[in-house]
Amino acid sequence: MDEKSIRDELRMWILDRAGAEADRLSGDDQPILDEGLLSSLDIVEFILFIESVREEEVDIEAIEPEVFDCIDTLIEAFFADAPSASEPQG
Amino acid sequence: MTSALELAPRLTKASRQKSWDAHTAFDWPASLEPDSDWYMSPELISIYGTEAFDALSETEQKRLSFYEIVNFFSFVLYGERPLISGLMNRMYRKNTDGPITEYLHHFVDEENKHMIMFGEFCNRYAGKIYPEKKLVFPREYAVGEEDVAFFCKVLIVEELGDFYNLKMMSDRTIAPLVAKINKVHHVDEARHLAFGRKILQELAEQHCASWTEEETTRFQAWLVNYLVSSWGDFYNPAVYKDAGISDGYKLRKMALANETCVAFRTEASSKLVDYFLETELLNERPQF
Repeated sequence: MDEKSIRDELRMWILDRAGAEADRLSGDDQPILDEGLLSSLDIVEFILFIESVREEEVDIEAIEPEVFDCIDTLIEAFFADAPSASEPQG
Repeated sequence: MTSALELAPRLTKASRQKSWDAHTAFDWPASLEPDSDWYMSPELISIYGTEAFDALSETEQKRLSFYEIVNFFSFVLYGERPLISGLMNRMYRKNTDGPITEYLHHFVDEENKHMIMFGEFCNRYAGKIYPEKKLVFPREYAVGEEDVAFFCKVLIVEELGDFYNLKMMSDRTIAPLVAKINKVHHVDEARHLAFGRKILQELAEQHCASWTEEETTRFQAWLVNYLVSSWGDFYNPAVYKDAGISDGYKLRKMALANETCVAFRTEASSKLVDYFLETELLNERPQF
């Protein structure tokens, strides 16, 4: 899955979980936790979703809470190796 | 009615009479055979009652029951870690000094032994403890809410765990070692639950009436979410993967939505929910 698709998947999951309209998360630098879209109780479910997308477990001890700030920080922390949309898929 | 202060010395006495050594209480077999025996009682397996469970062979169901019990012991172990930390932070306070702190020492000692017991089983037979995926973010509390929330969390991990302990401790179809671990855990937890119910009731009576309507609504929403999300621990995609079942995340989502599984969670939570309603910590039954 390319990076743009992953960003879209993350955005859809967060909005669906929060029961929020799309304009609550229109930018990838918009805060997720500070805006109240997700709470700490949603994080377990969110991490399992992230694991299902990247097909690899997340080492919770290796991450800081700040990685959940926004979609940009999530991409950097969990999907740094994802190809951009313009790159050929392997 | 007995107060926590009056109850504590009786519990302390019982803890001393029933004290056990985590390092000598069990004869640990050299190995277990996941494909040959039941470990989690079948009807307690997370996907029991679903088509996905029925589609597995008995060998596959037994293998799944092994990883399910490792998962159960893993998340109870991780639930006990902040419990111990929170109990220690509440020792020797003005409102806990004396008999209550004396009992808290036993509470902590017993939880520590449970962690040793669960950790030994998981590491010895599965080579791992399933990691928890929880992160705690700072939040604001009303006056007394942090203590009330802490003992709510204690009660949830212990009541749900005890529901499973009670079923498995007398189940002769599962591996005797697993039944014994559940029995040992239950005997200690019966005292912890008696204390936890009492002290939480007193804390609720002391603090909840002073909360604003907004604070009460926020707390009740948190408690419902915490209780419902606690059930998520039982549906671990890593367990399904280890048992050889593909697409564990999809299976988890299916089971969380499955009517039979919802009915099971509702029944298993009923004692806990009744308590939260009686103490007015909740004002309606959560949907599982």
